[in-house]
Amino acid sequence: MKSLPRDNAIETKQVEQVFWLTRLRWVAVLGVFATIFTVSRFFQVSLEVRPLYTVAVFLAVYNGLFAWLVAVLQGRRFYKTMKLIANLQILLDLTCLAFLIHFSGGVENPFYFYFIFHIIIAGILLSRRETFILATYAVLIFLVIILAEQRGLLRHYCLPGVFKVSLHENFIYVLGVSFVFVSTMYIATYLTTSISNRLRERERSLTDANELLAEKDRIKSEYVLRVTHDLKEDLAAIHTCIEPVRKGLTGPLNDEQTNLLGRAKERSKQLIVYVDALLEITRLKLTEKLEMVEFSVAELIREIADSIAPVASQKSLTFEVRISPGIPLLKGVRVYVQEALLNILKNSLKYTLEGGQVTLQVQSDGQRLQVKVTDTGIGVPPEDLPKIFTEFYRARNAKALYKKGTGLGLSIAKKIVEMHRGEIGIESRLGKGTCVSFAIPLIS
Amino acid sequence: MPRILIIDDDADIVEAMRVVLEKRGYQVIIAVDGNEGLDKARAEKPDAIILDVMMPGLDGFEVARELKGDPQTKHISILMLTAIKDKTGFDFQKETSDPDWLPVDDYCNKPLDYEILLEKIDHFVRNKKR
Repeated sequence: MKSLPRDNAIETKQVEQVFWLTRLRWVAVLGVFATIFTVSRFFQVSLEVRPLYTVAVFLAVYNGLFAWLVAVLQGRRFYKTMKLIANLQILLDLTCLAFLIHFSGGVENPFYFYFIFHIIIAGILLSRRETFILATYAVLIFLVIILAEQRGLLRHYCLPGVFKVSLHENFIYVLGVSFVFVSTMYIATYLTTSISNRLRERERSLTDANELLAEKDRIKSEYVLRVTHDLKEDLAAIHTCIEPVRKGLTGPLNDEQTNLLGRAKERSKQLIVYVDALLEITRLKLTEKLEMVEFSVAELIREIADSIAPVASQKSLTFEVRISPGIPLLKGVRVYVQEALLNILKNSLKYTLEGGQVTLQVQSDGQRLQVKVTDTGIGVPPEDLPKIFTEFYRARNAKALYKKGTGLGLSIAKKIVEMHRGEIGIESRLGKGTCVSFAIPLIS
Repeated sequence: MPRILIIDDDADIVEAMRVVLEKRGYQVIIAVDGNEGLDKARAEKPDAIILDVMMPGLDGFEVARELKGDPQTKHISILMLTAIKDKTGFDFQKETSDPDWLPVDDYCNKPLDYEILLEKIDHFVRNKKR
C-alpha cells in the first residue's frame, strides 16, 4: 500500500517520457526532410533522394502511429507496454538511421555519429541491459552495411562532389571507422547508463525520504488532533460550569464576582476559538479523500451574506455582495467552501476599521468559480505578504491592532482551496486595503 | 415537577446542567452512558431528554434511534448536544431537517448557551406530546 504512490509516480514518468520521445521524433522528422532537401538542392552533392524521402516518410508514419497508440494507452496503467513501446521505437529509429546512412554514402557519411543520440535517449529511458542490447543492434546493423558495401555485396550510394576517392572500398579505412564506431557506441552506453542509474538511485532515495517525512507529518497531525480534542473537551466543561454562575442562574452575584467571572469566560472562549481553528486545520491536513457533491454557490453566498451582514453593520461597515447571475453548480465540499469564505470574510471584517467597506464578488467563466473579497482595511505590510498564508503567522500591524488571533484563518482557507484544486492569492496595500481572491474549478 | 433525563458521559457538564435545571424547577435524572440512558428512559418516562452525541459505547445517534423506535419512549422529546463539527465536518443544521437521518426534536451546540437550552427544554415540556 505504501509503495503505491511511488509506482504511480514512476508510471506517470514513463508515460511522460514516451510522449517526450514522440515529440522529439517530430523534430527529427523535420530535420531529416530539411537536411535531404538542403543538401540535395544547395550543395553540389548529388543524392538519390527518393529512398531517403521514403525512409523519412516511414519515420513520420510510425511516429504518428505511436503517438496515437500512446494516447490510447495512456491512463490505462500499461507500464510494461509503455516500456515495450519505447524499446520498439528506438529499435525502429536505429533501423531508419542505418537506412538513411546507407542511402547517402554509407561509411562516407559522417552522420553515423548520430547513432550516439539514440543511445543517450535509450540510456535515459531504459535499463542498462536494454541500452546495451540496442547499442549492439546499432553496431551490428552499421557494420553489416559498411562491410557489405566494402565487399560489394550491397550497392554503395556514392556521394559525388564530396569525396574524390571511393572511401567505402578502402578496407583499412572501413576497419578504422568500425573500430572507432564500436568503441564510441559502447563507451557512450556505459557512461550514459552510469549517469542515469545514479540519478535514478538518488531520485528513489529522495522519494523514500519524502514519503517518510509525509508519514511523520501525518503521525504528528494525528497527535495534535487528539491533544486538541481533549483540550477542547476540558475547555468546554470549564465554560459550561462558569456560565450558569456568571449569568446568575445559581443565585445573584455582586458586581465584582460578575466582573471576574466575565473575564474568565472571555478567556476560555478565546481559547475555544483557538482550539477550534487548530482542530480545523489539523483535520483538513489528515483528510485524504473528499466526498464532493454538486451544490449551489449562489445559495451558499446568500447564507454567508446573511450571517455576515449583522456583524458588519455592528461595526458600521458597508458590506456589499456582487454575485453574477447564472453561476453553475460547484462540485465540492459545501461546508469546507463555506469555511474558507467565512475565514476570509471574517479577516476582512476584523481588520477593517469602522466606516470602511468590505465587498464580496462572485463570478464564473464557466470553468472556474472566482471569488474576491476586497476591503478598505489596514492592509498587510509588504514584508509580511509572502508569509501571510503560513500557519500561525500574523502580520505585525494585525498583532498591534488585536493582540489575539489564531493566525490560522487564511491557512485554513488556502488548504481548503487547494483541496478543491484551486488557487488562492492576496494583494494588499498597507493602510489602503486588501484583496483576497481564489478560483476553483467547478468540477474539481 | 417535570422530569428531565440527562444522558452525558462528562460529569462536570452534567453537574452544571443539573444545577441550572433544578434552579428552574425541574427534577433531574442522570445517566452516564447510552445503555443506562435507555434503561432510565424506559423506567422513569421523563418529560424530556438531553442527549450528548459523543459517548463511549452506544453513541447519541444510536440512543436516539432506539428511543424513537420504541413505542414506550418515542413520544419523549430529545434535545441533542453537539460539538459534532469537530469530528465529521458536516453541517448539523442541514442534517437535522431529515428525520430519518437523525430522529431528534432539536439540538444545542456545545459550549452550551443556557438561555437557549432552557428555552428549548421549557418549550418541550409545555408542548409535551401525549
